[in-house]
Amino acid sequence: MIPYTVERRADTGVTNVTLGIWLFLASEVMLFGALFSAYALLRTAAPAWPSGRDVLDLRFALANTVVLLALGWFVWRARTAAPPAGTRRRLWPAAALGLAFLVVKSLEYRGEITAGLVPATSTFLATYFVLTGLHALHVAAGIVANLWVVAGAGRVPPAMTLGRTAALSLYWMFVDVVWIVMLVLLYLS
Amino acid sequence: MRIFSTDHKVVGLQYGVTSLLFLAAGFSLILLVRWHHAWPTTPVPLVGGLLGDANASGGILLPEFYNQLGGMHGTIMVFLAVVPLAAGAFGNYLIPLMIGAPDMAFPRLNALSYWLYLLAGLVMLTGFVLPGGAASTGWTSYPPLAVIATAGQTAWLLGLFVLILSSMVGAINTIVTILQLRAPGLTMMRLPFFVWTQLVTAFLLLLAFPPLQAAAVLQLMDRLGGTSFFLPSGLVVSGRALDVAGGGSPILWQHLFWFLAHPEVYVLILPALGIVAEVIANATRKPLWGYRAMVGATLFMGFMSFLVWAHHMFLTGMGPTMSAFFQVTTMIISIPSVVILSSLLLSLWGGSIRFTVPAMFALAFLPMFGIGGLTGLPLGLAASDIPLHDTNYVVGHFHYVVAPGTLFALFAGIYYWFPKVTGRRLHDGLGRVHFWLSLVGMNGIFLPMLIQGLAGVNRRLYDAGRTYAAFQGLEGTFVLQAWAAGLLAVAQLVFVANFLWSLRRGARVSDNPWEATTLEWQTTSPPPAENFVTLPVVRRGPYDYSPPGGPADFQPQGQP
Repeated sequence: MIPYTVERRADTGVTNVTLGIWLFLASEVMLFGALFSAYALLRTAAPAWPSGRDVLDLRFALANTVVLLALGWFVWRARTAAPPAGTRRRLWPAAALGLAFLVVKSLEYRGEITAGLVPATSTFLATYFVLTGLHALHVAAGIVANLWVVAGAGRVPPAMTLGRTAALSLYWMFVDVVWIVMLVLLYLS
Repeated sequence: MRIFSTDHKVVGLQYGVTSLLFLAAGFSLILLVRWHHAWPTTPVPLVGGLLGDANASGGILLPEFYNQLGGMHGTIMVFLAVVPLAAGAFGNYLIPLMIGAPDMAFPRLNALSYWLYLLAGLVMLTGFVLPGGAASTGWTSYPPLAVIATAGQTAWLLGLFVLILSSMVGAINTIVTILQLRAPGLTMMRLPFFVWTQLVTAFLLLLAFPPLQAAAVLQLMDRLGGTSFFLPSGLVVSGRALDVAGGGSPILWQHLFWFLAHPEVYVLILPALGIVAEVIANATRKPLWGYRAMVGATLFMGFMSFLVWAHHMFLTGMGPTMSAFFQVTTMIISIPSVVILSSLLLSLWGGSIRFTVPAMFALAFLPMFGIGGLTGLPLGLAASDIPLHDTNYVVGHFHYVVAPGTLFALFAGIYYWFPKVTGRRLHDGLGRVHFWLSLVGMNGIFLPMLIQGLAGVNRRLYDAGRTYAAFQGLEGTFVLQAWAAGLLAVAQLVFVANFLWSLRRGARVSDNPWEATTLEWQTTSPPPAENFVTLPVVRRGPYDYSPPGGPADFQPQGQP
């Protein structure tokens, strides 16, 4: 068996899963960091850059902010919940909220596309669609991860479920933080 | 052996076989180019008729196909052959064995990383059957050219996206394995140098690749979504204004690309340095000279490699302040390479060297990598880079680093660890033939490139620059390169024959035929499932060769 999947290693102080998720998030920081850098470079070089408030509908974004923060709260609570029942009680609503986020986002996209606001229209909209699109993919992946942890909660030892839930909550925190940054850069500035 | 295994040894071998096949493919593509540059009006022999009239009219390469060959050669060699062989194959197979672990930390993710890598490679290769052929804008895929290129470029970008997922999963696995699964007593400063290089390599892959993934998404959007991330306003293609919003920046791609691709250089070289260190310590029967300095230099090199990327871009008009910064960092990053190379050279001092085949490849690596490194210095300074930029000198420089450099180290590794994997030794005589022919062939190809470049011959030209004054008098060097490439191909056939023959007929050897100290030799050859029958406990550093007063000239790490 692989050691330190559940118990912490004494000299590093972490389990394999904890270290793995932090490394994964480091790589994610580089991914979104590059995209935000590209955003900054394109925006500073542009002769004119629209204000997000004039182009986009802030109501969708605020609704989705509430949804994501609620989702984060559920996942955070799942860290200390007793598996499997407690884990399920918190991760199911979280997955449902993730789905709600995607539904709201799709409605927002549909409105924009029917209004003729597509990625090819301007560099601002291109940046908007790529950033929010990649973020939405992360939400979708997070829902799958939620369901995977829920499905495994009945089968694997409780300590392993707790490890997975802790990793999952870190991931959702990251997704929330990226969303807040995008809210400021795309909708409010 | 199951195909969908999660055993790190199976995954490592899958990486190894696949990347060696890609290596052969990448080499075959460039053999056509070598022929074409030497004898542009003579049909390519043997295979010229098989390429199809759309690619090679009457056996003579057409310009469009020539561009695909160059672009896919670089892509295959860097992304699909050398890095997967160095990090995927050697890393996967050896790291758990060298640190006394039963497997990688996440075995299922490990298998996933291999299958994603295979998928990525196949997606990239589908370009050859798409209309317009494979990606043809070079492995760097600079826009605007790459954005307006044919469908093969889309396959390239999709493949790259999947490949980066694969490398991220693999890198996380490597780091967690090394930090978490070390056997009792195996402190960080007792790790074999090879494991250190793999650790730093994994950090580079983890942190440098995502920006290229972001860039690949943006270029895909430019190609498929009609956006203009990399397309400036007012772009004219074939005499017609391009119908896009504009306002993008082609330089942005270069920044994102080289932010990956310079650390990638160290991804290419660090595992090679690790292999060479293991082989040299074993062949000299001495502890490595300056192990701690080498570890420090490796960490420093990994860190600095994130701060030098724009030295590939001196010609983009970045201004003296920026170029001064990148020139300074570039000069600084040469120091850790020199520390490691000097330590390896000094390790030879006073040793009674066993000139085995792996030792010969490892010893040849030292001067070859030295030439590669030293020829890079003029490219790191803007004043001398400006005339040398985009000439064959650059091609010669980085090939010295990667071909007789990294590849020789990888061959050293294959000869050295083949007995561990199979329980048999590769044939010694054939190995020596392979070595000497390769050494002559490699230098016959790349030394002329340095001369051509200094004369002013530009790289990537379909006619090798025949119409320019700089080319005159250099035709013979291209003919020499073609002969040398043929010799190199013959040498590799010797290797393939040796490899296949030795799998079945090679001399059987003991579990520790090289009398080595590190943990992978303290188990059977091939190792059992979960690697060790009893968990090893480590009691000393990795290179306890010739301990004074000991019974043998080596003391294994796990021996009481």
